[in-house]
Amino acid sequence: MRRYVIRRLAQAIGVLWAAYTLSFLILVLLPGDAVSAMTAGDTELDQAQIDELRHRYGYDDPLPVQYLDHLGRALQGDFGDSASTGRTVTATLGDALPQTLLLTGTGLALGVLAGGSLALLATYTGLRWLRQLLLSLPPLAVSMPVFWVALMLVEIFSFRAGWFPAFGNDGLRGLVLPAVALAIPTGAMIAQVLSKSLFIALDQAYVETARAKGAGRRHIHLRHVLRNASLPALTVVGLLAGQLMANSVVIETVFSRNGLGRVTASAVTAQDLPLVQGVVVFGAAIFVLVNLVVDLIYPLLDPRIVVASSKGAAAA
Amino acid sequence: MRPHAPSRITRPATALTALLTAGVVLFSGCSSSDSSGSSGAGSGGTLTFAVGSDMGCVDPQQVGSNDTIYSVRQIVDSLTDQDPDTGEIVPWLAEKWEISPDSTTFTFHLRKGVTFSDGSALTAQVVKDNFDAVPRLGALGVLAKGYLNGVKATTVVDPLTVRVTFEQPNAQFLQATSTHSLGIASSASVKKTPERKCAEGIVGSGPFVLSKYVPSQSITLAKRTGYAWGSPRWSKDGEAYLDKIVFKVVPESGVRTGSLQSGQVDAIGSVGKADEAALEAAGVNLIHRANPGVVFNLGLNNANPILRDLKVRQAIQVAVDRQQIVDTIFPTGTKAATSILSHTTPHYTAAPGLDYDQAKAKSLLDAAGWRPGGDGIRVKGGTKLRLNVFWFANAATNQPTLELIQQQLKAVGIDVVLQQRQIAQFAEILQGGKFDALWGNLTRADPDILRTQYSTKGLNSYRLPVGPLDDVLSRQAAAADDAQRKQLVAQAQQLITENAYVVPVVELETELGVGKNVKDLDFDASSRIQLHDTRIG
Amino acid sequence: MNELLVEDVARGAALGPAPELQPGPRTGVARFFLRRPGLVVSIVFVVLVALAAFWPGLFTNRDPLTGVPEDLFQAPSSAHWFGTDELGRDLFSRVVHGAHLSLKATLIAVAVAFVSGGLLGLLAGFVGGWLDDVLMRVIDVVLSIPALFLSLALVTALGYGTVKVAVAVGIASVASFARVMRAEVLRVRQSVFVEAARACGARWYSVLGRHVLPNALGPVLVLATLEFGLAILSVSSLSFLGYGAPPPAPEWGTLISGGRNYLANAWWLTALPGLTIVATVLATNRIARALDGEWVKQR
Repeated sequence: MRRYVIRRLAQAIGVLWAAYTLSFLILVLLPGDAVSAMTAGDTELDQAQIDELRHRYGYDDPLPVQYLDHLGRALQGDFGDSASTGRTVTATLGDALPQTLLLTGTGLALGVLAGGSLALLATYTGLRWLRQLLLSLPPLAVSMPVFWVALMLVEIFSFRAGWFPAFGNDGLRGLVLPAVALAIPTGAMIAQVLSKSLFIALDQAYVETARAKGAGRRHIHLRHVLRNASLPALTVVGLLAGQLMANSVVIETVFSRNGLGRVTASAVTAQDLPLVQGVVVFGAAIFVLVNLVVDLIYPLLDPRIVVASSKGAAAA
Repeated sequence: MRPHAPSRITRPATALTALLTAGVVLFSGCSSSDSSGSSGAGSGGTLTFAVGSDMGCVDPQQVGSNDTIYSVRQIVDSLTDQDPDTGEIVPWLAEKWEISPDSTTFTFHLRKGVTFSDGSALTAQVVKDNFDAVPRLGALGVLAKGYLNGVKATTVVDPLTVRVTFEQPNAQFLQATSTHSLGIASSASVKKTPERKCAEGIVGSGPFVLSKYVPSQSITLAKRTGYAWGSPRWSKDGEAYLDKIVFKVVPESGVRTGSLQSGQVDAIGSVGKADEAALEAAGVNLIHRANPGVVFNLGLNNANPILRDLKVRQAIQVAVDRQQIVDTIFPTGTKAATSILSHTTPHYTAAPGLDYDQAKAKSLLDAAGWRPGGDGIRVKGGTKLRLNVFWFANAATNQPTLELIQQQLKAVGIDVVLQQRQIAQFAEILQGGKFDALWGNLTRADPDILRTQYSTKGLNSYRLPVGPLDDVLSRQAAAADDAQRKQLVAQAQQLITENAYVVPVVELETELGVGKNVKDLDFDASSRIQLHDTRIG
Repeated sequence: MNELLVEDVARGAALGPAPELQPGPRTGVARFFLRRPGLVVSIVFVVLVALAAFWPGLFTNRDPLTGVPEDLFQAPSSAHWFGTDELGRDLFSRVVHGAHLSLKATLIAVAVAFVSGGLLGLLAGFVGGWLDDVLMRVIDVVLSIPALFLSLALVTALGYGTVKVAVAVGIASVASFARVMRAEVLRVRQSVFVEAARACGARWYSVLGRHVLPNALGPVLVLATLEFGLAILSVSSLSFLGYGAPPPAPEWGTLISGGRNYLANAWWLTALPGLTIVATVLATNRIARALDGEWVKQR
C-alpha cells in the first residue's frame, strides 16, 4: 500500500514538472518576450535602457539558464508579474480561484446529482421507452457546445422569463445558470459511465444470488449494484476535473463572471505570457491533485486495485 | 462669472448634508444589496451602470476611452466647466481667470475651502504639481500632453493663484482646463508613477471617490461626504445624491441590453440601433447627444506606400456610403460625417467632398494604376490593394460598421482585413505605426483637436506629410479673435477633406439607455455623463 | 471526452468479466440499416455537410459576405430560411459557407492528431524499451493539461486564424491517439502471425508495414471518427472566444459569438448555427458508435 502511495506521489510531481517545462517551451516559441510587451507603450526608454531591462530580467541569458532560473523561482511560488494586470501571476490566479472553485464545485455537484439519477433511473426502470429516452439524453448533451447551451439558457431563463441574472457574480441567483450550463456536459459524462457500469454490474453472478435469497429489486439496485458500479464513476470525476476547468473559461466569458476562466481568456487576448504559463501549470496542478486524491481513495474502496497494480504495469 | 463665497454657505450646508446623510443611511439599510434603488426620498442608493470596455487605467490624466471616462470623470473636478448648449466656459475650481491679450498667459484664481478626499487642501502648488506631471506621462497621456503642448512654466503666484505661460499663443487652453484630462488630483497622488496611477487611481476632490477597481470587471465609486464645491451648472448644491455607483464591464452589447430590460442594471452605455426597439418597449429612456470633436474615421497611415497616393485616399473616401452605414447600424439621430469635425464642435463647417460616388472611386483607382484582379481585388505591380484596419471593441457599433465598410470597399476592388485589438493597446499601436488604417474617434469640445491629431509638429500619429495644413493649424491655435479662428478652422477642415489624410465616416452619437427609476442623468459638454445630480428610485 | 474511454473505464473498473457477446444470426446490410434509422439520418446529414463544405453552391446562391442592409434582422422565413443578420446577410448562406471553414479546421485538427499521435504510438509500441517509457510519460503530461488550456497556450504562441486554431486543437488531441495506437501495436506485435513472420526472417520494416500497421489501424480510425465530433466542438469554442478567422469569415463559432450581441432581438443568430453544430456532432458520434462495434458485434 505504501509503495502504491509513494509511486503515485512521485508520478504526480513528475507530471507537474513536465507540465511546467512544456508550457515554458511553448511560450518560448513566441517571437517577442515579456520585456517587449512591458515596454511597448513607453517612448521614454531608448534601446540601451531596454537592453538593460532585458539583462536585469535575465532574458538575454542562454535558454537553459533562463529555464533553470524560472523553474527555481516557480518552485518558490513566484511565477513573475502578469503583463496585463500589473500584479504578480500568483496573486492574480489566487484571487480568481475561489470564484471558479465555487462555480465548478456547484456544477460538479449538480452534474453528479443529475447524471447519477438519470443512470439509476434508466437502469432500474422496466419501461423500455423510458430507458431509451433517458439513455439518448447524454449523447445529445455532449454534442452541444457548452457556450451555446449557456447562451440558450440566458436567452430563455434570463431575458425571456427574467428569473435569473445574465451576468455577474452576485449571489446565489447569479450562480444558477452558469452552474447548470456546466452541469450538463458533466452530468452527461457521469450518466454514460455510470449507466454502462450499472448494466455490467447487473449481469454479475452476485446479483442473481441476492435475488435468489429474496432481496427486493430496489434494495439490490441501490445497495449492491450502485456501490460496485460507482467506482468507475469516481475515476471519471478525476478526468472531469480537466473538462470542468476548460469549460469554465467559456462559461465565465459568457456570463461575465470573475474567475480563473475569464483571467485565462484575457491573458490569451493580451498575449500575457507569464500569466498564460501560470494558468497552464495551475490547470495541470489541479488536474494532478484531483486525480491523485481519486487514486488514493480508490484502494480504500476497492483493495484489489493495489494488488493488481503492484503485480506489474498494465498495457497503456 | 459668479464669484462664490463658499465659507458662508458651507456650514449650514454641511449640517443639512449630515442630516440628509443620516437619513439616507437609515433608509438604504432597508434596500437589498444587489438591487438598484431604495428610498422614496430620492436620495441615496446605488446606481449600476454597464459599460462595454475597460481601458485598463483609472488615472483621469491618462484615460481616453469613453467607457472609462464615465467613471473617472466623477472623481476629479476641473478648474473650469463648459456649458453643453452654448460652449461657454464657466468657473468651477477656479473662481475667475485672466487671459493675456496674446493668449500666452493664463492666470487662475482658485476657490477657497476645496479639499481632496485625503484631507489635503487645494492650493496653487497642487495645480502646478498636476500640470508639471503631464510631460512625464507615457504614451497614455496623449490628450493631456496635447493640451499642455508648448508650456513654458506653471508658476505659483500666491497660495490661491496659479499662472500658466506658453511659448506660443494657445487659444484652446481655457477649454482644455474643463476636461477630465486636466482634472486636479492631490499632490501626493499625482506624483506617483504613471503605472501606479493607472492601477491604483488617484485622490481627487470630486463628488465621488474611487473605492474599488477590478481591471476588466468593475469600477466602484462612493459618495464624497462633505463635497461642497460643485460646478454652477449643477442643480444640486453640496454632496451628490447617490451613495454608490458601480460601473460593470460587460463587453457583449446584447447582454447589456437584456440586463437593462430585466432590471439587472440601471443604465447602459453605447446603445446600438438593434437594441432601440426592445429597450423602448421595456420603458427605458434613451438619451442621446452627438460627441463633439473628430468623428469616427479611418485614420490612414499616410506613410504606407499604397496610401501615399492621393488618388487612392480619395477613392477610399468616396467609396464609403455613409448614409447606408448610418441607416443600418447607428441609433436614431446619428448624422453621417460632413467634415472631420462633428456638427456639435465649436467652429464646425461642412467640408464638401464626402459624397458617395462609387463610379468616381473606381475611376480614381484606375487612374492610379490599380487594375482589378481575378478575385475582384485590384492589383498593381504584383501587389494587392489590401489594407489592414485595426480596431477596438469599445463601441458596439464598431464591428458591424467596419464589416459594412469592408463590403463597400470590396465593391470597388479594395480588400480590407479587419484586425481587432484590445483598447489597452491603443497607444502602443498608434505609436508603432504598423497599421494601414485605425478606426476610431476623438471627443473634444474644441476644434484644436485637429492640431493635436494632424499637425506634423505634434505626435503626428497618422504620419501626415509636412504641408500647408500645419500653418493653418498653428494659426488657429494662436487666434485670439473668434471670427478669425472660425475661418482658419474652416480652412483646416477643407484641407483635410481635399487631401483625404483621414476618411471621416460617421459622427459618434452617444446613446445611453437609462432605466425608468433613474432621474437626471445628464450629459456634459463632451457628451460624457455627470452623475452628481442623478437620483434613483 | 470520448465514448471509447467511457467503455474502457466502465469495463476496466467493473468487477468481474464483461458479459459475453452473443453472436447473433448474420444480418444483411439492408436490414442492418433499416433497424437503425438514426444511423441512416446521421450518414445522410454528414454527407450533406461535406457537400456543403466543398460545393456550397448546391445549397444556396446567396453571398455569405455581402448583404442587403435594408433587410436586416429578418426572422426565419421562406425567403431566408435562417433569417438575416445585422447587415442583412442571409444566415443560411453563412452557415453553409461556414461549413467549409469549420470542416477544414476539423480535418486539419484530426489529421494532425492522427498522424503525430499515430507515429508516436507506433514508435512507442514497436520499438519499446526506454523510448516507450519516455514517450508515455510525455503523453501522460500532455493528458494532464486540460485540452483547452493547451490549445489556448498554443494560440497565444502562434496567433489567431482558422489554421492555427486547427493545429492547436490537433496538438492537444495527440495524446489519445498515441495511447490507442500504442495499445493496438503492442497487441498485434505479440500475436502469432507476427512471430511467425519474424521467424521466417522478415525485416522489421516489412513486419511493420504489412502486418502491424494494417491490423492496428482499425481502432485508431474509429477514434479518429469520434475525435471528429470533439474537434468540431473545440474549434468552434476557440473561434467563439475570438481566436479564429477575422470578420466577415462565417466560422460557426464566430457566428454564434456575433449573434450573441443580438440575443435580445434576434435569437436565430445564436440558436440556428448552434443547432447546426449539435446536429453535425451528433451525426458523427452516431457513425463512430456504429463503426466501433455495432456492425462487428452483430455479425
